[in-house]
Amino acid sequence: MSSRRDSSVPRGRPVHVRRTRTRREFLTDAFCGFGALALTAMTRQARLHANSVGGLPPIVPPVAPKARSVIFLFMAGGPSQMETFDPKPLLNQLSGQPRPASFGEAKYQFVESDAKLLGTKRSFARYGQSGLEVSDLFPHLSRCADDLAILRSCHGDMVVHSAAQYELFTGRVVPGAPSMGSWMAYGLGAETEALPGYVVMPDPLGALEAGQPMYSNGFLPARFQPTMFRPSDRPVLNLESSRGASIEQRRATIDLIRQLNGAAELPLDPEFEARLLAYDLAFKMQVEAPAMFDLSRERPSTLALYGIGQEPTHDYGRRCLLARKLVEEGVRFVCVVSGGGPGNMQWDAHKDIEENHLRKAAETDQPVAALLRDLKQRGLLDSTLVLWGGEFGRSPEAQTSVGRDHHNLGFSMWMAGGGVRGGQVVGATDEIGLRAVKDPFHFRDIHTTILHQMGLDQHTLTYPHLGREERLTFIEGEVIRQIV
Amino acid sequence: MADLALTHSSRSGFRWSAGALGRRDAIEGLLLILFFGVQLIPRLSASPESPEAKALFDDLVLPTLEARCYECHSAESDRIKGGLLLDRRVGLRQGGDSGPAIVPGKPTESLLIEAIRHEGLRMPPKGGPLSAKEVAGFRRWVELGAPDPRDQPMEDFSPVTDGEQGRKHWAFQPIGSLDSSIPSGAQGGRTLDGYIQRSLTEKGLARSSRASRRDLVRRLSFDVTGLPPSEGERARFLEDPSPGAYVALVDRLLASPQFGERQSLFWLDVVRFAESEGFEYDRTLLGAWRYRDYVIDAFNRDKRYDRFVLEQVAGDELTIPTHESLSAAVFHRLGTVRRNAGNPEIALSRNEVLTERTDVIGAAFLGLTLACARCHDHKFDPVSQRDYYQLQAYLAATAEGNVELASPEEQEEWTRQSEAIESEISRLQARKSTLKGEALEAVSQQLRRLAARRPEALPKIPSIKNDYANVTPIHLLRRGDWERKGEPVRMKPLDVLGGERVTGAPLDTRNPRTRLARWLTRDAHPLTARVIVNRIWQQYFGVGLVATANDFGKNGEVPSHPGLLDFLAAEIIRHDWHLKPIHRMILLSETYRQSSRLEPSALAVKTDPGNRLQWRHTKRRLLGEEMRDNMLSVAAVLHDDLGGESVMLPVEEDLVKLLYKPSQWQVSQTPGSHFRRSVYLIAKRNLRLPFMEAFDQPALLTSCFRRESSTHAPQALELLNGRISNELSEAFARRIRSSAGGDVEGQVRVAYRYALGRDPNRSEYELGVPFIREHSLEEFALAMFNLNEFLYVF
Repeated sequence: MSSRRDSSVPRGRPVHVRRTRTRREFLTDAFCGFGALALTAMTRQARLHANSVGGLPPIVPPVAPKARSVIFLFMAGGPSQMETFDPKPLLNQLSGQPRPASFGEAKYQFVESDAKLLGTKRSFARYGQSGLEVSDLFPHLSRCADDLAILRSCHGDMVVHSAAQYELFTGRVVPGAPSMGSWMAYGLGAETEALPGYVVMPDPLGALEAGQPMYSNGFLPARFQPTMFRPSDRPVLNLESSRGASIEQRRATIDLIRQLNGAAELPLDPEFEARLLAYDLAFKMQVEAPAMFDLSRERPSTLALYGIGQEPTHDYGRRCLLARKLVEEGVRFVCVVSGGGPGNMQWDAHKDIEENHLRKAAETDQPVAALLRDLKQRGLLDSTLVLWGGEFGRSPEAQTSVGRDHHNLGFSMWMAGGGVRGGQVVGATDEIGLRAVKDPFHFRDIHTTILHQMGLDQHTLTYPHLGREERLTFIEGEVIRQIV
Repeated sequence: MADLALTHSSRSGFRWSAGALGRRDAIEGLLLILFFGVQLIPRLSASPESPEAKALFDDLVLPTLEARCYECHSAESDRIKGGLLLDRRVGLRQGGDSGPAIVPGKPTESLLIEAIRHEGLRMPPKGGPLSAKEVAGFRRWVELGAPDPRDQPMEDFSPVTDGEQGRKHWAFQPIGSLDSSIPSGAQGGRTLDGYIQRSLTEKGLARSSRASRRDLVRRLSFDVTGLPPSEGERARFLEDPSPGAYVALVDRLLASPQFGERQSLFWLDVVRFAESEGFEYDRTLLGAWRYRDYVIDAFNRDKRYDRFVLEQVAGDELTIPTHESLSAAVFHRLGTVRRNAGNPEIALSRNEVLTERTDVIGAAFLGLTLACARCHDHKFDPVSQRDYYQLQAYLAATAEGNVELASPEEQEEWTRQSEAIESEISRLQARKSTLKGEALEAVSQQLRRLAARRPEALPKIPSIKNDYANVTPIHLLRRGDWERKGEPVRMKPLDVLGGERVTGAPLDTRNPRTRLARWLTRDAHPLTARVIVNRIWQQYFGVGLVATANDFGKNGEVPSHPGLLDFLAAEIIRHDWHLKPIHRMILLSETYRQSSRLEPSALAVKTDPGNRLQWRHTKRRLLGEEMRDNMLSVAAVLHDDLGGESVMLPVEEDLVKLLYKPSQWQVSQTPGSHFRRSVYLIAKRNLRLPFMEAFDQPALLTSCFRRESSTHAPQALELLNGRISNELSEAFARRIRSSAGGDVEGQVRVAYRYALGRDPNRSEYELGVPFIREHSLEEFALAMFNLNEFLYVF
């Protein structure tokens, strides 16, 4: 950034949090804001410069990180808290009755306020040494109970998919801001040259409501954009040579480009050097990445662990295994989406919670558990933060007769690995699962915690946009201290 | 407030000193009553002398605040949360980011009470909620007027800019007059150069030599039209050594219709132009392309900028609205719109739409980040929350209003035709169910023929209108939350820009946006002219004189050449708000004509590495749109029709599948449409072309004042393996072959002439010829599209 700023304005502090000034800032001001200005300018410049050479070389975070990578298992559509990780005996007792007034009000997208409560058919048991309660939807995952930190008191601000998905990914309820993954790529680069820093693997069943802008780099430069993996065995766009050209042919062309650039009478320029490097990296990706995507070389036992080659786990298992391979190679952020296309193909169980969740759980339970176990076996779980959850949970009330509507006031997510202390439940909803009542965690708290584990800070990982130093958390979040 | 006796205590700072109050207050109160009559009595009854209130404060409120709140809300906090200080009276009353924490006497309107009752906010966040007794105590204390002796001021904790100081900010001052020490001249070019020269001299720097004529013709052509120079144009300029040749070239380019196509790009970025609404439905805004054509046409015809602003802000309010002015008003419809099924939240949706529209007006015309003032007074600029909503009030009557372009007769005719066909179709369909075999086939054929004869939908403009009967009440909103309404407001300009001298108008005032536009475009408005000349400057030099072109406020960058900015702004007004004279002045200046190829001097690198002072020209990478247009041109397949419906190119099927409604992507069938200029490619929010995404096209969601120019590996993959560069390099290879035949040396020569406008040098021949022989001409053509010289303007 240019340094021609009005020096009376102290820079580098989170202008959206405080109107007040601390002593330190006061001192900074006394020196015309120079200290703060130089500090931010250098950090950002260092970051942008480090990233300007083509790929996303790694950046050492300011604080020693607990985690190196994040895998977000995005259960799109909104899994139910009552059917998964938050048993509610009272809800079963009250099933069929309207919600007692003492629980307060809630707004839903479809259900009216006088709808009847709906008990769950799922049963819960305690697992592991920690005795964590997990429903019978997840027979595989329950064996990893001691690794899970279940957050039962998550909440967001929106009750419709698109806006809630934006908030989950970007901290804003409108599209246009960078997603978690782009912020990570911006803040930390990647530890791989042959692969992108931030990968999204959408569900081949179809798209989600919030569409592409949910994953995007928003106002961050384009090099922090997600790489969207396609469902085929060749997941990355433009990674194969056009017109069936051989890899040798492409190498020759890149060499020609380099030589012709050199032969032209152009001034020396760092930007041109960066472009050359970008071509070399592109070539490296083209040569090395496809081997990554080839799962045929995996051991049969690994494939079996993830349920690859069997239905209904094949697809999600494939993508979970790929996610493991990607973080192993140093990819920073991987999002593996479960759910896509029309609502019922997601966890969006408006019509029949049983049918929907049994199906979605069957597709994902084994792969998710396999991912945790595989990461652990390879010693990667400590450095990989795994987040599981949707853009909201579901209503304690029935929609039509056996479905559940969206619900954003209290629902469950979990984290594992990446320095998170597993085997515990934090936060709580009320007795019918309507509202987070104990230690509520907003998406911003989840974001803050992820940043924290990665050695980043919501206040210093900022980027100027439309007059503000923007950051991932729109309103300041808190680290979930109970689990880190 | 009464002068109360205080004693110091270690933790809280101050406490009531029991027994020390009373008499003096009572006397003062009495005097007040004598002065002001009885109205003050109710207030006094809730004043500090209530012993109950005092006891509550001492025994309950203060200890609780100390124990449960000071950690995050006092001067001692490591980080003060929400900008709220609870360690002083004024902190509570003035409040933090969410507004006042308490309203004395009104517990139901006091955020603090809401927060400790866990209604909305939940405070304190840790250690469990306050007990019922504590909550009741706080409530009662507020009811009794919330007496609070802690009278430390906020001084050290005030916003960075107070109103008074903010008013002195340069951007709010009147446009200055010309500096008499700067040479003047009829064309203005000398003056412009004078300002640049002066700041260079001050730093001991000097202007670079002029760029070569070959560089100049290519630079001018891309900067003005977004296309490479035609061979004829290039030859004409290079072969004419007269001094008038450059001027003539500038004038020809400025007069060409491609000028508007190129210029429209920056404006479309600023107004977040897109043809779909975003969010899950991403509904197509049918006819929004008319707005794009309006912008192109306005720039081409050099429409007065004040008129350009008026038509966009209030084109529907003109006495006789035209298709043109209605297309301009599509401006208001270009934002993202969240629509959802199920329980409607009409007020929330309305609030979202009005917010989006207000913010873009601030960014585009005023160059101010008004959005900051939606939730709280602006921290840097003298824009209050009240200002924000007073500005939003101009939009209170605005409703979506799609306009049929067809005349009533045409509409009638359309209805007649349509009804005739539909009734015939339903008659046949009814019969169809009774038929079999050949008869069925015949009817089916008839039905297909009929369906094909359905008249095309009549053209529409997705514009807006005023609905005075359903004006949205506009209030101050606490923390920008639509459910927390404060005081209602009237429409009124920003206080700092003259609003404080007027009382404002009620929300149902006729033609409200015309008033807004008139205010925006008064000659004396200090922002409007500066903001637009700065955008023009940015087109030619990469960075504006004010680098933050959407933020002229305190938090934005200060101008590199304040005098020059004012000179250009004054010139626009002198030229009756026409913009082409400014373009021309810049293009004819020596500043613009400098070479970009000079090695920077050590001094320049040290004092001005970013080249803000213009010691040379700054080379630039082509915009994504220009890159594709360049390929189309060089391959000689460009279809240069002006205007019309937007084009959907064929894209990878996987990308279409990422749309929630894949059927929205219907590849254009019109012949030649796939070879149209990139400005005519559809701007769909949920499906952007990978090519444009890779080359920094903005996300189409919020106003973008300057594109990034990033360099990364996926760009190389896109140019090497992507669909656009490959299809077009094949076309380029065909062109080369048809011109040079099988002569490989000739192929290299024409490839260089077409792509770069020059003959290859010896080493280029030596590299190119064997490559084509060994590999292929197609691959060579692709390499040409990847050269720095092809992708950059020098």
